[in-house]
Amino acid sequence: MTSTSARASIVGPPALFPPRASRRARISRRRGYLLTAPALLVVALVTLAPIAFSVYLSLCAVTAGADGFDYSLVGLRNYAAALGSQALWSALTFTAVYTVVSVTVQVVLGLGVAIIIDRMTRGTGVVLALLLVPWAMITVVSGQLWSYIFNGVYGLADYLLVVLHVVPAPVTILSNPVGAFVALLVADSWKTIPFVSLILFGGLRTVDKELYAAARLDGAGGWTILGRITIPLIRQSLITAVVFRVLQAFGIFDLPFVLTNGGPGNATQSMAMLAYNALFQDLNIGYGAAISCITAAVVIVFAVVFLRAFKVEEPGG
Amino acid sequence: MRAGTVADIAGVAVGVVFLLPVLWLAVGAFKPVSALGAFPPELLPIPATTSNFAAAFATNNFGVFLGNSVIVGAMSTVIVVCLGLPAAYGLSRTSMRGRGGVLTGLLVISVFPVIVTIPPLYVALRTLGWLNSYQALVLPYVAFNLPLAIWTMRNSLLAVSPQMEEAAEVDGASLPRTILQIIVPQALPGIFVAAVLTFVACWQEFLMALSFNSNAAYQTAPVGIALFGGTFQLPYGTIFAASLVALLPILLLVLALRRWVVDGLSTGSVKG
Repeated sequence: MTSTSARASIVGPPALFPPRASRRARISRRRGYLLTAPALLVVALVTLAPIAFSVYLSLCAVTAGADGFDYSLVGLRNYAAALGSQALWSALTFTAVYTVVSVTVQVVLGLGVAIIIDRMTRGTGVVLALLLVPWAMITVVSGQLWSYIFNGVYGLADYLLVVLHVVPAPVTILSNPVGAFVALLVADSWKTIPFVSLILFGGLRTVDKELYAAARLDGAGGWTILGRITIPLIRQSLITAVVFRVLQAFGIFDLPFVLTNGGPGNATQSMAMLAYNALFQDLNIGYGAAISCITAAVVIVFAVVFLRAFKVEEPGG
Repeated sequence: MRAGTVADIAGVAVGVVFLLPVLWLAVGAFKPVSALGAFPPELLPIPATTSNFAAAFATNNFGVFLGNSVIVGAMSTVIVVCLGLPAAYGLSRTSMRGRGGVLTGLLVISVFPVIVTIPPLYVALRTLGWLNSYQALVLPYVAFNLPLAIWTMRNSLLAVSPQMEEAAEVDGASLPRTILQIIVPQALPGIFVAAVLTFVACWQEFLMALSFNSNAAYQTAPVGIALFGGTFQLPYGTIFAASLVALLPILLLVLALRRWVVDGLSTGSVKG
């Protein structure tokens, strides 16, 4: 990557003037620490330290008193309670299934949209602008809007289903576990397919178009070109999109909170919602922290396995 | 028809499909309550009414939520750029050790699920007496947006030729002066992208805003929009009017800086 050239330009030609170069390197190094320290300190204090503190909280029974909190260590009791509860397994199953389904749908459709944009001869700017609109949507607004569209009495979705003769009369889509799942998927995909396609479009832009022409001359069909040329060449963008999307989907909160409220029953209750409810409805901080930590553990395991499997190189620096 | 023309038509069709739900929101914002519940749905708001906007701002004080969003978003963005730019410089232009590790670590933090930090931050903010305040949101927003802002600005600094700053150094210019007068002007697009993306992220953020500020005087627009309303019937007209006003500034900002935002997104340095 760019790292080697950047480093070379700072250190200069070391062979010619070794003493001067090393002095400059030392000054440069000290500057680096000074300039990065404030930002890294804030990040460490407000993200890393809390993550460690969260692990501690998950091992405690926390009670809120008038002047602060009382913590008493209870070992793994919160984890035992969480892992023994039906609600956790239900939330874990929903979140995992939702993550797999939604990321697959969004990456496949996002790739389709990206390929279309990449092949456009004019009007690309307009379409990119239109795609930025859902991306810039506040997720909560999107949740309210889709809850109106999926309303069981006067919703637009029901109207379309009736007009297309899919159902004879309006159905309460959100009161059905599958319907609620699909509603979440549609609302989520509307906002995230643009994001995925913009990332993949960035990858497609760098592909030499001559390659397609050459493959076509050799008699390769559309699917062969997609599988043998396009996908391997935009591998890095695909991995970026998948990793970002999986981590976001696994932490999903805003959309089910507004659109389905985790329902019907707790069919669409995500891990983040379960943790939130434990914290702010049951006021059980230790238990909520345990659920948060389980969520984080699943995410970390996924990230490590995925990045190993695809042998993603470290970003340069 | 030529393949390019087919792609042009398909592309515009895709763009319009993605725009339609927002148009439905805009139409709903101008419908009277009776028309909002009509089935079959009415395509256009005739007669159009502005009563939903009156309900959002006069009755439900949505202006306060918007003001809080502006204050929190602007403060967070300014702090992110002020802390992030020097860090991006340090990580791209100096020979400090551990740059690769720091950059990887930042990337990992930026995609970590927010929920993990909610219990400890809630406990910490309550202990400090900072629940229901601007800093309760500015502090975590700065920390969670710094990693990607640093990445974005670092990438744009790497694209700037180091010759001019070496010349400035030879001429005896101080480091802050070199950064402000030589580096910043050249890296401006990257700084803009980082600032816009930070502001958009703060403007949309819901989970922390909901968890840390339960007092309406300090709640932001997404919390206001999520919690509007009734036990039995959601006041969709009010919600859509408020949503439309909350969306407009962010849409104008994103569309005005469209080229840079697309570049930022398509180089994969950003989350959605």
